[in-house]
Amino acid sequence: MKQDDHADAGGNNCDEALERLYEYLDSELDQVTSEGIRAHLDDCGYCTGGFDFEKRLKVVVRERLSEEVPQQFIVRLRHALDQETSQI
Amino acid sequence: MADQATFADDAMEFAPQLYSAAMRMTRNPADAEDLVQETFLKAYRAYDSFQAGTNLKAWLYRILTNTYINKYRKDSRRPSEVDLGEVEDLYLYRRIGSEESAEVSRTTEDRVLDGLVESDIKKAVEDLPENFRIPVLLADLEGLSYQEIADILDIPIGTVMSRLHRGRKAMQKALWEFASNRGLVPEGAERP
Repeated sequence: MKQDDHADAGGNNCDEALERLYEYLDSELDQVTSEGIRAHLDDCGYCTGGFDFEKRLKVVVRERLSEEVPQQFIVRLRHALDQETSQI
Repeated sequence: MADQATFADDAMEFAPQLYSAAMRMTRNPADAEDLVQETFLKAYRAYDSFQAGTNLKAWLYRILTNTYINKYRKDSRRPSEVDLGEVEDLYLYRRIGSEESAEVSRTTEDRVLDGLVESDIKKAVEDLPENFRIPVLLADLEGLSYQEIADILDIPIGTVMSRLHRGRKAMQKALWEFASNRGLVPEGAERP
């Protein structure tokens, strides 16, 4: 039963939920719309699986894109700012 | 109006985050350091035009992004507008499932998510066309809101959303290829 476009009790279907997937995960939806999606997820195992995976992927992407800033650079940056300040 | 004397104290805490974004924009440490330093100096000089108490982080990202676009893109002032084809929703999730059941097992998810190494994720982002890469970085790496990204890039919020959606899906397409090449996906899963 892949991507079954059934309507749940609240009348929301998978397409509508998936269309809002990123807005939902990015916390960009108003409360009512958000609750509608949560209601759909309660009823739909497939979408719940998909949403959870996307949420995990988002965390992984963020962790693995981060870069350790070299401490030497922070020192140089402070120094550059100090020099700039002393010119005034 | 913000006080220039407090600039370093106010802004230095954002330096590590800006450095991460700069690395993913310029793709190398020397340029990333130059970009962040230039951003900080410009911000310092313009600090009296910054409205104290408003969003300092977003303001710094705006300077960073504009400096990057103007300095590291020699041919034009705006990011090159490249289009990405349509990619379906849940691109990666749909492909790591097996034939027998639609829902993906936790073990498969773990294997894919743990197996995609840092260099895979970085390459997937760095290979995105610039007009998609920057919104994706601002949202996924920096956690900025759609409105903040719209303000930083001077584009409508609807454009932010569509670039973000399509950029993320294009990333998933690349990640699928990496996962597939590393043998992280189950036998019989759809090949790219």
